[in-house]
Amino acid sequence: MSDHDHIYSTKFQDKIEQKTLLMFVLTAIAVAVGGIVEIVPLFYLPNTGLASADGSFNNTSHKDLQGNAIPMDKIVWNPATSVHKTLEDWVPGDGVRPYKPLELAGRYVYIREGCFLCHSQMIRPFRDEKDRYGHYSIAEESMYDHTYQWGSKRTGPDLARLAGKYSDEWHRKHLKYPRDVVPESVMPNFFFLDKNPIDTVKLTKTMEVMTKMPFNPVPANIYTPEYIAGAAAQVEGKTEMDAVIAFLQSLGNQVKFEEGVNYRD
Amino acid sequence: MSENHNSAGGVPTTGHVWDDDLGDFVNQPPKWWMLGLTASAIWVVVYFAMYPSIPVAINGSYWHGLGLPGSGQWTAIKELAADQKALDDVRQPYEDKLKAMTPAQILADANLSEYVARSGKVLFSDNCAACHGQNGIGTKQEGSKFAQREQGYMAPILNDDDWLYGGDIDTIYETISGGRQGMMVAHEGMVSDADIDTLANAVAKGEPTSTPLFAASGCTACHGEDGKGMHAMGSANLTDKIWRFDGSVEGIKQTIKYGVNSGNPNARIAIMPNFTEAGKLSAVEMKKLAVYVYKFGGGQPSAAPEAAPVAADAAASAASEPAAQ
Amino acid sequence: MEATNATPVKYDMDVVRWFTIMAAVYAVVGTLVGVYVASELAFPFLNFDIPEITFGRLRPLHTNAVIFAFGGCVLMATGFYIVQRTGATKLWSNTMAWFTFWGWNLIIVLAVITLPLGLSQGKEYAELPWWVDIMIAVVWLSYGLNYIMTIGIRKTSHIYVSNWFTMGMIVMITYLHVVNSMAIPVDWATSYSIYTGVQDAMIQWWWGHNAVGFYLTGGFLGIMYYFIPKQSGRPVFSYRLSVLHFWTLTFGYVWLGAHHLQYTALPDWTGSLGAAISLAMIIPSWGGAMNGMMTLSGAWDKLRTDYILRFLVTAMAFYAMSTFDGPVMAIKSVNALSHYTDWTVGHVHAGALGWMSMISFGAIYHMTKKLWNTEMYSDKLVNIHFWVALIGAVTYIVAMWVSGIMQGLMWRDYDEFGTLTYTFVESVSAMHPYYVMRAVGGAIFNLGTWIMLFNVVMTVRQANAASGVNAVAAKA
Ligand code: HEC
Ligand code: HEC
Ligand code: HEC
Ligand code: HEM
Ligand code: HEM
Ligand SMILES: [Ca+2]
Ligand SMILES: [Ca+2]
Ligand SMILES: [Cu+2]
Repeated sequence: MSDHDHIYSTKFQDKIEQKTLLMFVLTAIAVAVGGIVEIVPLFYLPNTGLASADGSFNNTSHKDLQGNAIPMDKIVWNPATSVHKTLEDWVPGDGVRPYKPLELAGRYVYIREGCFLCHSQMIRPFRDEKDRYGHYSIAEESMYDHTYQWGSKRTGPDLARLAGKYSDEWHRKHLKYPRDVVPESVMPNFFFLDKNPIDTVKLTKTMEVMTKMPFNPVPANIYTPEYIAGAAAQVEGKTEMDAVIAFLQSLGNQVKFEEGVNYRD
Repeated sequence: MSENHNSAGGVPTTGHVWDDDLGDFVNQPPKWWMLGLTASAIWVVVYFAMYPSIPVAINGSYWHGLGLPGSGQWTAIKELAADQKALDDVRQPYEDKLKAMTPAQILADANLSEYVARSGKVLFSDNCAACHGQNGIGTKQEGSKFAQREQGYMAPILNDDDWLYGGDIDTIYETISGGRQGMMVAHEGMVSDADIDTLANAVAKGEPTSTPLFAASGCTACHGEDGKGMHAMGSANLTDKIWRFDGSVEGIKQTIKYGVNSGNPNARIAIMPNFTEAGKLSAVEMKKLAVYVYKFGGGQPSAAPEAAPVAADAAASAASEPAAQ
Repeated sequence: MEATNATPVKYDMDVVRWFTIMAAVYAVVGTLVGVYVASELAFPFLNFDIPEITFGRLRPLHTNAVIFAFGGCVLMATGFYIVQRTGATKLWSNTMAWFTFWGWNLIIVLAVITLPLGLSQGKEYAELPWWVDIMIAVVWLSYGLNYIMTIGIRKTSHIYVSNWFTMGMIVMITYLHVVNSMAIPVDWATSYSIYTGVQDAMIQWWWGHNAVGFYLTGGFLGIMYYFIPKQSGRPVFSYRLSVLHFWTLTFGYVWLGAHHLQYTALPDWTGSLGAAISLAMIIPSWGGAMNGMMTLSGAWDKLRTDYILRFLVTAMAFYAMSTFDGPVMAIKSVNALSHYTDWTVGHVHAGALGWMSMISFGAIYHMTKKLWNTEMYSDKLVNIHFWVALIGAVTYIVAMWVSGIMQGLMWRDYDEFGTLTYTFVESVSAMHPYYVMRAVGGAIFNLGTWIMLFNVVMTVRQANAASGVNAVAAKA
């Protein structure tokens, strides 16, 4: 071994460089730390939209303007406490809910066609985004989004609060040939969605999978076995176009936000 | 062939050699770099102390940091509030006035209507232009790509003076705040194909009353004795050759046969969403839009007489003669 | 300890040759698809109403083709090349290396089939269906195991710095891929992440950023540490800098993922954490860039005649630039503007075209000469490729920076009445000229890759004709 080793590297570094296993282990530890620190707390700290087994959301508590805690079932729909007991009775403002069958089928199409590559679904707390898209998004709003769809690029506008902005008819025309309604658009024509029937086998399986997720599964009192069994009939005769539109019409109107309340910290 | 001392300044290498000639000099990293590294480490520590960065639970939330001198703990929501306030300070005087005023009063106030004209642009484009086109010029759909029932404009042109429901400011406001859904029954089965053919030809010429079938088939109930439409029900003026859907004989036949929003699967669809119900727009925003739409040029004085028919076809009038009154 | 000199080692280079050729092929394919998706944004009629080639389905094909096909083959070619030569040993298992080769190429073929069909898991750079994910894990482990075992059986006392970086990449990508791909299948085509919302987003960008940090950067730094000294014939500028560079980068880079999620529904601490460390990452990154550039000090004159060296040095300049651009974008107030815009895309391609592609081109040329023991078919074409690539890259990057900043400014602009100045579609139409410019820049860059492929193929043919066999391992 040359003298320089002792002069120009620490003894330990010199040892590492000579021992494959040691280098491997130390590297494996070095690259693990950052991820653990950033990710693991999101599973137990409050305000991360994660329902814990006792339904408590890791002690998340949003406070209204008087400083009183807003009950979580005002934010996340809970059929047990809500006056509206089923997904069909649910009305906007009742709180975050799982997707209805048709919407879930639409969500599949949304992912398949890569809409998330051009559209974000995450409104940041900026005044211009508020003016353009509405209230900033909160963690609970995507708690049932297995494979989150926030996106990272706005080639097209944000869609997080699209529900009710346009009629179904408009969506149909726009999705088929966007440039016929918005001449400047660069969005592809999705006319073919109108011809594809919904894959009901996939849909039923998807609903089952959603109830089996280890994190934020759809509660079994919402997707009951009967409800899942009836899904195929519910979407009978509908096309993928109907499904995407239903999905788009479900985005962002679930929580009733109060002006001025801080829903993030 | 170890190149132990081959650098210009006589700096040696570490002495290790790989693959015949790979080695590394024992040069120290540049001073600025070492300083930079130290500074970076300090920066991280200081930043972590000041900003919310450390994921530890505290008081049902997490530790938000020591905060910044002067402004206290930083959070994204606080930042939003501050930015919003700067904006509100500009808007508030206007908005306060708008809140209490009717659309008609706003229209009468020059300064306010300027404010509204500006703030209406993005509101209109982001909420209405999808159907009514940028600046209300309409969105003409290219027929070839569409099934026939979808031809025509997505929604009425707004920068002309032809109104289905009326062009006075209050009616426009009512349209926006309440939505519209004009209904024309499907005449298939009620009127024979031959009669529909005759009717369509007469209507296409802009002379619906030239055939007695017009009254006989019940069209006058909605489109009026003179065929000029009735604002109360949003029925179209059939004498002006401004076509909302499709002005070809075939297109008109389609409208007559299947109606508008009639429930017939081939019916033409004409739904102006209810923006109050959708919760998308505040009352003030809808007032702004009413004024904004009114000021496209086609606005009419309140309780005005019926609009004078415009001779040119819709596209031309949209493009070249938005002026009115 | 200078074992390399004693006995000439016969290396397992056939598999490296094939990885090298495939890298040149995929460089053409990946950027060609890039040009096509760029053109679709400029001229949407190019979607041609064919579902399989709409933007939403082709874009993942582009990212997967450049990252996994092009980038992957470069990493595997150089990895197997470097680990043998710096360890003065053959591969631990040549058979396993061939398994890696065929496995990896099979995965690429599957990507080309499944992505246009619309099979997507809905996560950027992790779109491939779940069963392909399993194949990736297996093939990646075969690569990693072989690599590390080859280090283990090296004849040199110390592990060369390139191998540190590659080892870091192997470990990190394994972590990332396994954790981020956790999903429950619905059927063969579809699966959904087991995580939702906030947790899923963080895990995705922990993956997304570190795929960049360890794969597109760490792995390529390994390339840099071998090929720059080799090509310039000079030892690495500073050993101590190598050590500091490696450990700070390896430990620090992992933390940056959160800068992709600033101001989103994650708690503020996550974004701040990512932002703070991102800014601190300039110095380690520049340490690497310095080390590469300074290695040349005293040999700058070589740049006049050595076109391969030009690629390598230019790559370092772009590396320095994109690792400055990135940290700046991570600053809260800048990210507020840049996030969601083309600025990100400009930054990506400053790294991808300027850094990762340029260093790859340099390495491919260098290896081609060594592996086939010959000169390039045409040095002039190497020089032309260099200029074409540089012009293409700069055109692309400038276009996206301008359009990105413009987009960001238009979206947030307020007039004197406190109302938004621009509508969204106005920003869309304002982008048009830049989208055209980007497509043109991309096409120029793509032209360069054709030139390279041609040159490499001709070189190989020339060498084979000369020797009649291609199985002789080159000796440096
Ligand atoms: C090439 C990028 C691209 C893709 C892919 C894309 N879009 Fe778009 N989208 C746009 C652009 C640009 C706009 C803005 C212009 C317009 O309204 O067409 C837009 C607008 C929209 C709008 C109107 C939003 C609003 O608030 O005005 C909806 C809804 C929409 N897209 C849905 C989708 C869906 C669903 C998909 C996938 C099936 C999709 N988009 C795929 C680019 C894209
Ligand atoms: C989903 C498409 C759609 C959107 C979005 C929309 N409209 Fe309409 N609008 C229509 C249709 C369709 C009609 C015709 C309704 C009818 O015939 O009953 C209409 C009618 C109108 C009328 C009456 C025109 C007349 O001739 O009397 C006005 C005024 C109007 N819209 C303004 C607006 C404004 C302002 C907005 C935005 C806040 C808006 N619209 C958004 C579809 C739309
Ligand atoms: C129940 C009321 C009703 C009856 C009856 C009715 N219409 Fe209509 N019609 C409407 C309404 C409302 C509209 C406008 C819908 C819109 O533009 O949104 C309309 C639109 C039309 C249009 C399209 C005008 C354009 O600009 O494209 C034609 C043509 C037409 N009617 C012809 C007829 C004829 C001919 C008859 C008799 C056979 C008839 N309508 C009977 C309510 C009626
Ligand atoms: C001819 C060269 C290339 C062209 C024309 C090109 C074009 C494009 C286009 C148009 C996009 C989509 C951007 C958007 O959604 O707005 C994109 C994304 C991307 N490209 Fe390329 N590309 C090229 C080369 C490369 C190379 C060599 C890489 C190497 C890694 C690369 C990596 C990426 C990545 C990672 C993204 C995703 C960026 C993001 O999500 O923000 N590209 N490219
Ligand atoms: C210290 C170095 C770097 C830092 C701090 C950094 C930081 C960033 C930031 C802040 C973003 C934007 C995130 C957003 O707003 O969505 C980003 C995106 C990105 N960067 Fe870097 N970057 C660095 C180096 C690089 C390099 C060298 C490359 C390429 C080889 C690269 C590739 C990418 C890619 C592909 C994305 C796009 C992610 C997406 O799809 O949204 N980065 N980076
Ligand atoms: Ca992205
Ligand atoms: Ca008319
Ligand atoms: Cu990043």
